[in-house]
Amino acid sequence: MGTAGGTTGIETAPPAARRRGRWFGGPGGSLTLRLIWLASLWIVLALILTGWALTAQYQESALRRLGSMLGATIDEVVLASNATPAGVQVAEIKDAQALRPLSGEYWSVAEPDGRGGLSMLASSPSLAGETLSVPGDLPGRLSSAFGEVVSYNAEGPIGRPLRIAASMKRLPGREAPVVFMAGIDRSDVDADTRQFATFTWTALLILGLGLVIAVFLQVQIGLRPLFGLRNEIADVRKGRIARIAHSYPLEIQPLAEQVNRLLDQNQETVERQRTHVGNLAHALKTPLSVMLAEAGGQTGDLPEMVRKQTEVMKAQVDHHLRRARAAARAQLLGERTPIAAVLDELAVMLERVFKTKGVEIDWRAPDELGFRGERQDLQEILGNLIENGCKWCRRRVRISAGPTGLGQMVVVVEDDGPGLPADQREAALERGARMDETTPGSGLGLSIVVELTRAYGGRITLADSDLGGLKVLLELPAAES
Amino acid sequence: MRVLLVEDDVDLSRQLKIALGDAGYAVDHAADGEEAHFLGDTEPYDVVVLDLGLPRIDGVSVLERWRRDGKTTPVLILTARGAWSDKVSGFDAGADDYLTKPFHTEELLARLRALLRRSAGIASATLSCGGLRLDPRAARASVNGEPLRLTSLEYRLLHYLIMHQGRVISRTELVEHLYDQDFDRDSNTIEVFVGRLRKKIGSDRIETVRGLGYRLTPLPGEPAEG
Repeated sequence: MGTAGGTTGIETAPPAARRRGRWFGGPGGSLTLRLIWLASLWIVLALILTGWALTAQYQESALRRLGSMLGATIDEVVLASNATPAGVQVAEIKDAQALRPLSGEYWSVAEPDGRGGLSMLASSPSLAGETLSVPGDLPGRLSSAFGEVVSYNAEGPIGRPLRIAASMKRLPGREAPVVFMAGIDRSDVDADTRQFATFTWTALLILGLGLVIAVFLQVQIGLRPLFGLRNEIADVRKGRIARIAHSYPLEIQPLAEQVNRLLDQNQETVERQRTHVGNLAHALKTPLSVMLAEAGGQTGDLPEMVRKQTEVMKAQVDHHLRRARAAARAQLLGERTPIAAVLDELAVMLERVFKTKGVEIDWRAPDELGFRGERQDLQEILGNLIENGCKWCRRRVRISAGPTGLGQMVVVVEDDGPGLPADQREAALERGARMDETTPGSGLGLSIVVELTRAYGGRITLADSDLGGLKVLLELPAAES
Repeated sequence: MRVLLVEDDVDLSRQLKIALGDAGYAVDHAADGEEAHFLGDTEPYDVVVLDLGLPRIDGVSVLERWRRDGKTTPVLILTARGAWSDKVSGFDAGADDYLTKPFHTEELLARLRALLRRSAGIASATLSCGGLRLDPRAARASVNGEPLRLTSLEYRLLHYLIMHQGRVISRTELVEHLYDQDFDRDSNTIEVFVGRLRKKIGSDRIETVRGLGYRLTPLPGEPAEG
């Protein structure tokens, strides 16, 4: 309000900074995005960790189950094995699975071959001449963990995935250690694990989406009072309301109260300034009246000079008081003045003042039309214009006011007087803007109107009226209702 | 002609007393609001010059008291602030004209002459309809003792309706009696003025008779001629 172009809003940051700001809620960024972003990040992290822990745990317990089955097989083979001078004899094991070729359950007995590998001594019939694969470091690991079971994954016969357990033991009657190995097809367990993982990740994804939506809603609902406050402050600026009226949640109520306090303070400052200015005017004008009256009663050069200078002083006082007042009021927010009420009181008053002349003032304005500014200022602008019309008219002064949209309104003041030639209009407005050259009682008395209208960012134009006289068009800020 | 001058500034009072005396007025002077109220209440003045910034009681309050007590003496107010809000509140209180300080003495004398000419009209009886009162001499109206603020068109409309109260008056008749020849004779504007008048005097007092026009009646329970 009051600035030249009427531009509002925050200075815009460079695009890159804005982009960064938007994500992290910095200047120009969004609190909503910031909250949603942080919460979502945390949710995704937590869900990934959970998914990873669950699938790992599931796989481990499946392998442990396989491990215990393999351990049992090894024990069985150990019990069935006898050391002979020729090597190791394994008694028949009546396990159907281990008999059928490539059944998926296998065992082998081997011994270190002394070159870092293993040489097979006996195998289950199911291996059908194949061997269980042996990683290169297995003999070493087995001898360092003598008697323990070592497990690993490997590819088995016909390319099936196997879980293999091996243990190095000593058989009675044989000096060299013997390696017992058992293998089992892993594909069912793998499929189970995969299925479990798919299920888990799907469930977590759904949960994650649900949580992000919940966060979004929570932020939207949670921040709603903040948006409400923002809208209300905007309404104060636009002059729809004078103060923040709603109550807000505990966290932002102090903010609303501070805004109200600021508005009050603003109002108070303007009031104080105006009172001060009014007092000054009062203090100066009565002495000026005395000087004027004293000089008016006499003739000669000195009284003439006093009279002239008094007029100049009066004009100067008026001019500077108005300047001060106009500057003070440009800062006011939240004021709304119904124009119909002001027109009515001025029409009643001025018809009485110009009763001898029989002036008729015909005014039209919608009841709901409001001026975005102070009542005193609207009185000042319209009072001077209508009074002017009354002075110059023959009988009639016509006033009409209406909104033009875009927060503006137009007030037209016309009279049926002699009017003003087009080439003098510019000068009349200019003279209005610069008080110094005017002499009291002459001219159109437009100075205060021009100054105030400009202080409100409005516009004033002069034209011919179809009543025959002057037509003054005023554009002023309207209050939205 | 007797004039009451109410002004607290000693020099200005002295000058004005001399000027008014020279112009043929009998001048009484009051320097504060209390004295002014007392004098205005007890002496029959023809016109009053009233400064608004007064010690003890301010000018607007003094004027309000006089008007409340039924005094119709024309009053010219002097204001130093020159703000329209002051002028408007002065007129709300019942002033008839104003001058902004500093002023030329001749201007004051001319205004006083005009006020006196205006109030010298022939006295006629007060018209009334229920709680509504209209004084054609002072061109003032009131409802239940509260002064009404009317523009001249509104006043003329009320005057015509109250003179013909109880009778249905058509829009055409109202247009013919309210406007002079060169006015836009648009009967729609009558509705606008009736609407405004209703807002000021109470909407039930003017009845709309569909297709015929308007009728002013006292409210139920009010005597027609009070």
